Formats: sequence, C-alpha cells, structure tokens
Amino acid sequence: MAAEKSNKAARGTVQCDNSSFNLLKANDFVADTIRKFVAEKQILLVNITSSAGSGKTTLMQETARRLSSKIKMKVLVGDLETERDADRIKQAGVEALQIVTGGICHLEAQMVWQAMEQIDLEGVELLFVENVGNLVCPSSFDLGEDFRVTLLASTEGDDKPKKYPKMFYTSDLMLVSKADLLPYIPFSVEAAIQDARDVNPDIEALQISSTSGEGIDEWCSWLEEKVKLKKESESMPV
Amino acid sequence: MHEISLVRNIFRTLEAEFEKDELEKLSQIDLKVGLLSNVEPILMQNAFEAVTQDEQRFQKAELQVNVVPIIIKCELCGDESEVKNYSFKCSNGHPTKNIIQGEELTIERVHFHE
Ligand SMILES: Nc1nc2c(ncn2[C@@H]2O[C@H](COP(=O)(O)OP(=O)(O)OP(=O)(O)O)[C@@H](O)[C@H]2O)c(=O)[nH]1
Ligand SMILES: [Mg+2]
Ligand SMILES: [Zn+2]
Repeated sequence: MAAEKSNKAARGTVQCDNSSFNLLKANDFVADTIRKFVAEKQILLVNITSSAGSGKTTLMQETARRLSSKIKMKVLVGDLETERDADRIKQAGVEALQIVTGGICHLEAQMVWQAMEQIDLEGVELLFVENVGNLVCPSSFDLGEDFRVTLLASTEGDDKPKKYPKMFYTSDLMLVSKADLLPYIPFSVEAAIQDARDVNPDIEALQISSTSGEGIDEWCSWLEEKVKLKKESESMPV
Repeated sequence: MHEISLVRNIFRTLEAEFEKDELEKLSQIDLKVGLLSNVEPILMQNAFEAVTQDEQRFQKAELQVNVVPIIIKCELCGDESEVKNYSFKCSNGHPTKNIIQGEELTIERVHFHE
C-alpha cells in the first residue's frame, strides 16, 4: 500500500474515486481474511450484537449448556472493561476469551483476528463473537461472520429497529429476548418484526427467553442447521 | 464513538496516498457519507477537532461531511428510488436490499493550498 502513492504532486482539488479512500478498508481487509479462514476450517462464525444488557451473555451460557455436548463451540466476548462475561461463559462449560476494548464501543476485525490466534480452533464447529453492547457502532464493522444475530429485549421497546436501522439492516436474525417479561410490558412483537422487515426484508425473527427457556429449542435448531450447512460446504482453501 | 477510529483512518489513508510535504498544504477534506453508514456529521466534526488537537496534525485543514441519501434499485421492476424512513421498498412496493447509494464512507475529495 505504502509503496505507490497515487498522487505525486497534489495541487488544487484532487478527486478521490478509488476504493483505497474507503475509510473501512483496513477493517474490511481483515474481515475478508477471517471469512476465508473460517471457510477453510468450516467453522460457523456468529456475531452476536445488541444494546447493553439485552441478554447476550446469558444466551451464550444457555446455548453452551444445551449444545456443547453436541457441537464443539467457543466464545470470544468483547467488553469495554472487565473479564466478567468470559468468566460467566466458562462456568457454563465452554472456553471463552475476553477481548477488552479499552473504551472502544465496538469490535473491529483486527481485534477478533488477534483473539482467534490466541485460542485453539482445531475441531471447533461454532465460534461466537459476543460484541460490545451497543446498537450503533458495531453495525459498521464487518467481522467476517457468517451470520449476524441481534437481540432486542422486550424491555427496550418495540421501536428499536427503526431507530437503529443499520444494525437491523445488516442482521440475519433478530431475537426478541426476555420474552418472559412480555406480559408485563407494552411491547408488540408483531410491530417489532414488521419494522425490522421494513428495514430488512430478509431478516428472520424468533422470540426467546433464557430464563423460561421459551424459544431456546428453536434457536438451537437454527444454529445446528447452520453448523450442518457449513460443514457440508466446500472447504475453501485460503 | 466510532468517529474517533474513523478520523484516525482518514489520517492513515491520506498518509498512504499522498506525500508528506503535500499534506502540509492540505486545506480541506470532503467526506462522502451514505445515510446508512451511521456517521453523524456533528460527531465526526467533533472527533476531527479532537484528534487534530491531540495529534497536532492537519490543524489547518477543514472537514466537510456530505451526507448522501439511500437509493435502491428494484430487481423486480427496475425502479430506482430514494429510501425514506428506512423503508426498503421501491415505489411499487416491492421489498429490496439492492442499494446503489447510501453505504459510502469515503474520502471524496481533498483540497490543497496552491
Ligand atoms: N427476565 C429476563 N432477564 C434476563 C434474560 N436474559 C438475561 N436477563 C438478565 O438481563 C441482565 C443482562 O444480561 P446479560 O446476559 O449480562 O446481557 P448482555 O447483553 O450480555 O450485557 P452486556 O454484555 O453488558 O451488553 C442480567 O441481569 C440477566 O440476568 C431473560 O431471558 N429474561
Ligand atoms: Mg455480555
Ligand atoms: Zn419494484
């Protein structure tokens, strides 16, 4: 990149119309490296996003309890500070590595790639990345994932898909979480799904509760299906 | 606050693309920012001020953030229309994600003092 500077004697106004002026190109480059790596190793990579506190870590724990005997999984978890979420996930019986972002409100592909180099991925079929709790910034950073799954807790209000459109636009699956609280809160699951589909016609939706277990079977089946498809896919050489 | 990371990326990109002494004459950077790129112009301006101060670079340069609307082209009927209210449907009501403008996050132009 540094070898050839496209603009030798810049003067006046310079029109920049090639892709090297894309501000996310460094992230996208590493994301592509990750995508190729998980394609070759046939690891399903799932990026879990939501606002702070929507139940991502609790869902990781529940998923570990239900599926870790059937599917070999590991979790990378991003937080601004502390190792608490990784500790919680380890207690549920799967290996987890904390990525402390030190104040950065999202994970970038480079951070994930570095973390992937620190864990043993041999034989791993499913790798989760729990992103930093935030519906804005993480939406712009491709991590090379196969699927992006966004939790929307019933306590957050059903208007979020239109308020944070980019996150829902880029997600493959929306999980309406903390569904056990729905009887006590004015939250319309239909309205949330309708708004999410208005932003993203292709988005799938499920209603779940890690506390009551509602929808967790469907969530696990969704994962098992995707893991199976990934293993049947051609292993793409890097 | 991903604006700070983006401003650092602006600097990194300019340094990769232009010679050092050219950049001394930098007067203005024009960004092209799609409505779907999640960049808030005011936050971007603030981040630019903060980073130029902090790093003592490009302090003479101005940042101009041009936001462009989201345009989709329907695969079914070929209709091209602007997305309003983040409703991804063409004028004939067909849902589509075929975006032809609105995801940009790029340096569009740079201006130098003569
Ligand atoms: N009622 C109810 N509470 C839940 C459920 N899932 C999680 N919680 C609670 O919600 C709180 C936040 O859950 P976490 O799993 O830590 O949320 P998180 O998204 O990982 O949070 P951050 O990583 O900080 O963004 C905890 O007090 C959980 O016990 C649920 O299904 N129902
Ligand atoms: Mg968490
Ligand atoms: Zn149409």
